[in-house]
Amino acid sequence: MNDTVIELKGLTKRYGYGDTESFALKDFDLTVKRGEFVMIMGPSGCGKTTLLNIIGLLDRATSGEYKLNGENAANISAARQARLRAKKIGFIFQNYNLIEDLPVIENVALPLVYTRTPRVARLKQASQALAHFHLQEREYYLPSQLSGGQQQRVAIARAIVADPEIILADEPTGNLDSRSSHIVMEELKAIHEEGNTIIMVTHNPALTTYATRVINMLDGQIDTDIKTVADHKLPKPVEARSKKRKGRSR
Amino acid sequence: MSLLIKTHLKLARISIKENRTRSFLTCLGIAIGVASIILILSLMGSISRLVSNQVKNIGADLIVVRPSTNKDAMSGIISELTASSSYQKSNLAVSDVPVIKEIEKVSAVAPIALSTRSVSTEKNTMDSVTVLGTTTDFNVIQPLAMRYGSFIDDTNENKTAVVGHTLALQLFNTTNPVGKTLTMMGNRFIVMGVLSEVEESINFNNVDFDNTIIVNIKTLEQMGVSEQIQQINIKAANTDSLAEVSNNIRERLKEKKSGDVNFTVLYGDEITHPAGSLFTIVSGMLTLVAAISLVVGGIGVMNIMLVSVAERTHEIGIRKAVGASGQNILLQFLFEALILSLLGGLMGLILGYILAFFVSIVTPFAPYISLQILLVTFGTALLVGVIFGIYPALKAASKNPIESLKHYR
Ligand SMILES: Nc1ncnc2c1ncn2[C@@H]1O[C@H](COP(=O)(O)OP(=O)(O)OP(=O)(O)O)[C@@H](O)[C@H]1O
Ligand SMILES: [Mg+2]
Repeated sequence: MNDTVIELKGLTKRYGYGDTESFALKDFDLTVKRGEFVMIMGPSGCGKTTLLNIIGLLDRATSGEYKLNGENAANISAARQARLRAKKIGFIFQNYNLIEDLPVIENVALPLVYTRTPRVARLKQASQALAHFHLQEREYYLPSQLSGGQQQRVAIARAIVADPEIILADEPTGNLDSRSSHIVMEELKAIHEEGNTIIMVTHNPALTTYATRVINMLDGQIDTDIKTVADHKLPKPVEARSKKRKGRSR
Repeated sequence: MSLLIKTHLKLARISIKENRTRSFLTCLGIAIGVASIILILSLMGSISRLVSNQVKNIGADLIVVRPSTNKDAMSGIISELTASSSYQKSNLAVSDVPVIKEIEKVSAVAPIALSTRSVSTEKNTMDSVTVLGTTTDFNVIQPLAMRYGSFIDDTNENKTAVVGHTLALQLFNTTNPVGKTLTMMGNRFIVMGVLSEVEESINFNNVDFDNTIIVNIKTLEQMGVSEQIQQINIKAANTDSLAEVSNNIRERLKEKKSGDVNFTVLYGDEITHPAGSLFTIVSGMLTLVAAISLVVGGIGVMNIMLVSVAERTHEIGIRKAVGASGQNILLQFLFEALILSLLGGLMGLILGYILAFFVSIVTPFAPYISLQILLVTFGTALLVGVIFGIYPALKAASKNPIESLKHYR
């Protein structure tokens, strides 16, 4: 049941031409199976963010092949790519990327707008997601009224609210204190244990204990790739995840 | 779909509220354009209503023959504006009157021959006075209230005239000049009556009776003055056979003019349409001005939407990252533009009727409200919103999400 979710073959991302030509990703091969928790490390500028953007259908590779759930990404229409981003992919950014004009709860509910969830259900789900991060009392604050750490937790709540299969996190704990970091990582771990796939970029080697696989990148290529959990021991997808999630509120 | 529309509406409301001042100013641009359209439509509607009331007052048994304007409209207008007299050249003739009168079920026929003449009295001389040549039947078809004296008749040996209320005062310095003489076209006319003041200054005859001299057209013929006939008014014996009678008139006149059909026979509501091409020109020009100000207002909407799109680039990036399609973004911004221009339309509607109200204080044109005007208003506002909102919305929709995400405020 541990089928392949993400398959990259010879993926290359080039910027500029001629003299200014540079490669953010170079002939990059990677296969991620359902239920893997992949941590990507590497020096600044080695192409980690670029990789996540391409996997998250926000960016296109210059050449090479990307298959998402066995489907060639190049063949997916723009409209369906958008729908996949809303339903199947949850983004957590290096900066928080919240809409400043919208209250926290509306920010969290944003992906549900594009999955066409009715407003009441939307706000209820958003409220539950916020409760996981102990932000239920800040629902109607504006992002600018929160600390950086709180904003990042809002962004994480937004990433999981639509119950996606793949979470793409770009240094999600970069701005959090150790206590908040711990909450975030426990939450990601819980999401992972339900059979979700997580790809997370981090500079903090201590967090690699949560991962089932650690990849070190260098200059747009894989340097080392270590699996710490055997494929057959990866968590199995949980049926009716959303029901279980609702029952889990603390 | 309706779910997303609701969301878009809410977003648009939030965005407009947040930038209250500039939204208001943008709406104002649209409002001025819409208000001028409302004002013009209200005026035209009001004028039509006045004329149609006039016809109603006269009765439903009226038939009117007018020279047709099927010659090139523009050249007609030009010849009308450049001609020394501002009255249309016509192919109707005084000799048509007896022909019509012979037709069955016709009870009265009056030609309307308008010209401008210079008129002098012992006291004053006036250069361009409207002179209406007609027959005694005129008073049968459309009785005019007399203040003094009586209407023209066929028995009087002398050349006689009836003078309008305002004109009497201007020519003779008195309201009752009955028995006095006036001179025009080298002949002396005795004033035998003065009209009462006419309340509705607009009528289907296109005559301002307060400022007109009415003379018997036979007198004019005897003097050898050949007049252009602008219109022939006909009273039918009863209201049931209007179609039949007007058909007979058409046939008989066609026969008389050996097949020429340069005239139209009208009855009922058809009469009420104001015929003056000057009216058409003026309302056309006003509409053009209104259209230009609407375009200017629309450019204002486009400008503000472009600013809004630029300001919210980061937001667009975020929305796309969490699942908004290009179409979602397009609709979001298009809705905002639409709401801006609809709000402008609403403001324009109110402003337009306030203006129409002020116009009604100094003119006889009461504000005129109809479903048509409301539909036209909202139709134009919507159209402006779409035309000038689509480009900014497309621009927003086509933004690259990664570039947009890097766009901090
Ligand atoms: N729009 C762009 N135009 C040109 N070069 C770019 C562009 N975006 C990224 N790059 C280059 O691609 C390379 C990879 O960038 P990327 O953001 O993926 O690095 P990263 O691994 O995420 O670094 P960090 O750890 O600092 O976030 C960098 O050398 C960068 O300069
Ligand atoms: Mg990065």
